Amino acid sequence: MSANTPALENKKTMGMGQMKSVILALLLDTFLWTYVSLVLYKIIYEKMILGLRFPDFTWNQPITALVVGGLITLALFFTKFSIGRATQGLYDLDENKSIMKEPFTLLGLFIVFLTFIAGLYVSQISIREFLSQSGLTGARRIFTALFQPNLGILEPALFAAVETIYMAFIATTLALPFAFLLGFFAARNLMNGSRLGLAIYYIVRFFLNLTRSIEPLVWAIIFSVWVGIGPFAGMLALMIHSISSLAKLYSEQIENISNGPIEAITATGAHPVQVIWFGVVPQIVLPYLSFTIYRWDINVRMATVIGLVGGGGIGTMLMQYQGLAKWNEVGLLVIVIASVVWVMDYASSKIREAIK
Amino acid sequence: MLEVRNLQKVYDNGTHALKGVSFDVKQGEFLVVIGLSGSGKSTLLRCINRLHDPTSGAVNFEGEDITKLRGARIRSVRSRIGMIFQHFNLIPRRTVLTNVLSGSLSKTSVLKSILGMWPEEDKIKAKQYIDIVGLTGKENIRADNLSGGQQQRVAIARALMQNPKILLADEPVASLDPATSHSVMQYLKKVNEELGVTVICNLHFLSLVRQYASRVIALKGGELIYEGKPLDIDENWFKTIYGEEAVEVTIN
Ligand SMILES: Nc1ncnc2c1ncn2[C@@H]1O[C@H](COP(=O)(O)OP(=O)(O)OP(=O)(O)O)[C@@H](O)[C@H]1O
Ligand SMILES: [Mg+2]
Repeated sequence: MSANTPALENKKTMGMGQMKSVILALLLDTFLWTYVSLVLYKIIYEKMILGLRFPDFTWNQPITALVVGGLITLALFFTKFSIGRATQGLYDLDENKSIMKEPFTLLGLFIVFLTFIAGLYVSQISIREFLSQSGLTGARRIFTALFQPNLGILEPALFAAVETIYMAFIATTLALPFAFLLGFFAARNLMNGSRLGLAIYYIVRFFLNLTRSIEPLVWAIIFSVWVGIGPFAGMLALMIHSISSLAKLYSEQIENISNGPIEAITATGAHPVQVIWFGVVPQIVLPYLSFTIYRWDINVRMATVIGLVGGGGIGTMLMQYQGLAKWNEVGLLVIVIASVVWVMDYASSKIREAIK
Repeated sequence: MLEVRNLQKVYDNGTHALKGVSFDVKQGEFLVVIGLSGSGKSTLLRCINRLHDPTSGAVNFEGEDITKLRGARIRSVRSRIGMIFQHFNLIPRRTVLTNVLSGSLSKTSVLKSILGMWPEEDKIKAKQYIDIVGLTGKENIRADNLSGGQQQRVAIARALMQNPKILLADEPVASLDPATSHSVMQYLKKVNEELGVTVICNLHFLSLVRQYASRVIALKGGELIYEGKPLDIDENWFKTIYGEEAVEVTIN
C-alpha cells in the first residue's frame, strides 16, 4: 500500500517533465533504429554480403531508413525493447532481475556489436595486407634505416627543434594575457550578477567553445594561407588554440574559488577591479601558472604536428625528408623530437609539482 | 544611526529569508542578533551592507536609505561599515599587513592598490591596528599561516582600517574554541567601548550574549520575535526562540 503511493503521485504530477522524457525517449529510439537499419543495409548487406565496392548512394536511402526506424520505434516503444525509455527512467524495473537480462540491454549490446563489425569493415582491417611479403620488406627497410640515423643533419635538426620550442613558447606567452582576461568573462560566478554580465558570459563561452573545437592543425592550414607557410602561421594557430583552452581552464579555476575573500573585499567598499585583484587573483595564481606551463608543454608537441602542414620548425623538416623517402634523416628527426618531448614533459611535471 | 524598516528578502530560489524586519540601532550599542540556524541572521547583516540586495523595505544609515544605491555611492556606504565573518575570509597567500591594508581599498586608487603603492600613512595606521589586536611583529607573516583566533583578529584590524561607524560580525567566533572565542569577543568589546564603533553581531551561544551584548534581537523564520536586554531572556523566551526541545549549553 504505502509502496504504491509515490508511483500514484508520480502519475498525478505527470506534466512537462514527463512529456519531455517521453519525447526524448522517442527521439533516441528513432535515431537508434534508423542507425541500425542503415548499417544493416549499407554495410552488412551491400558491402559485406553482396561485396559491392562502390554501392550507389541516394538520399532516399537514409530517408527510407528514417521511416523504417520510426515505424520500428512505434511498434516497440511500449515493449521492453525501448532503450530511450530505459535511459529516461520510464520503466518500472523489477529490482531482483539483473539489468543485464533486460531486453533493452541486450538490444544495446547488439547495437554495439553491429557497430564493431561495421567499424572493422570501414577501417579496412586486413591481416593479409599487414603480413604480405612486399609490405614486410618495405617496413623492414624503413625500420633499419630509422635505426641508422643520419647524424650529418643533427645541427639543422637541433636548430629546427629550437625553432619549434620558441614557437610554442611565444604562442603560449602571447595567448596568456588574452586568456587571462577572457577567463574572468567566462566565469559564471563573476558574471551572473547582472543580465549584461550573463550575456557576455554566454557570448564568450560560445566563442571559446567554437575556437577550441577547431583543431590547431586546421588553424595552421588557415593561417598558412593567410600569412604564408612558416613558423608565424604555426605560432598563430597555437596561439588561438591556447587562448581558448587556457581561458576555459582559467574560468573553471575561478568558478572553484572560495567566495569568502571576495565577499570580504566587497564589504570594504572596494572597486570591482580591486575585488578581483585582491579577492580572486591570489586564489588563482598558482593553478594558473601550473596550467600555463602544461600548455607550453602541449604546445611543443602540437608545434611538431603543425610543422607537418607547413607550420615551420622540426615538423616541417620531418615532412620534407619523409617526402623524399630519406629514412635515415627521418630516423634522426624522430629521435630529436622524442628527446625534446621527453625533456619538456619531465621538466613541466617537475615544475608543476614544485609550485603546488 | 541605523534604522531597519520592514525589511524583506526573497532569494532567487524563492526562499523567503526575511519577512518584514524592523529595528533601530543607536550609536555605541553592542547589538547581538540571535536565532536558530536558517532564521535569517546572516541575510540580515548582508542586507545592511548590501552584499545582498533586499527585496523591499528600507535601511537608513546616517539618514540615507541605502537600499537602492548603486556604484560608487554604495561603495562609499560599505566603506563606512566594517564586516567580519565566521571563516575570517582573509586573502590567502598574502601577508597580514596586506590583509589589513585591504581595509583601506575604498580610498586608494585602483592603479596604486594593484601596484601595491600604499600611502605611507596607511601603512603606519595598519601597523597601529595590528598592535591593537595584539599581533605586533606578525606584519609580514602569510595570513593563512596564522591560527584561527589570530586570523579573526587580522580581520578585525582590516575592518578597523576602514574607520567604520558600524562593525557587522557574522558569527565571528563560531569556528573558534571557547578560550579563543572569549579573546576575540574581548577585542570586539574593546573596539566597541574604546573606539566607539557600533557593533552588530550574530551569535550562537547565549552565555556570550549575556556577557557582551548591550541589547539583543532574536529572529525566527525571518521574523523579529524578541527585542530587549540580554538578561531578560528567561527560560520561556529561550524556548520561544530556539524551540521547546532546546537545552541551553554554556561556554566559559
Ligand atoms: N544565497 C542564498 N540563496 C538562496 N537561499 C539562501 C541563500 N543564503 C541563505 N539562504 C536561505 O535563507 C535562509 C536564511 O539563511 P541565513 O544564512 O540568513 O540564516 P542564518 O540565521 O545565518 O543561519 P546560520 O546560523 O546557519 O548561519 C535559509 O533558509 C537559507 O537556506
Ligand atoms: Mg549565518
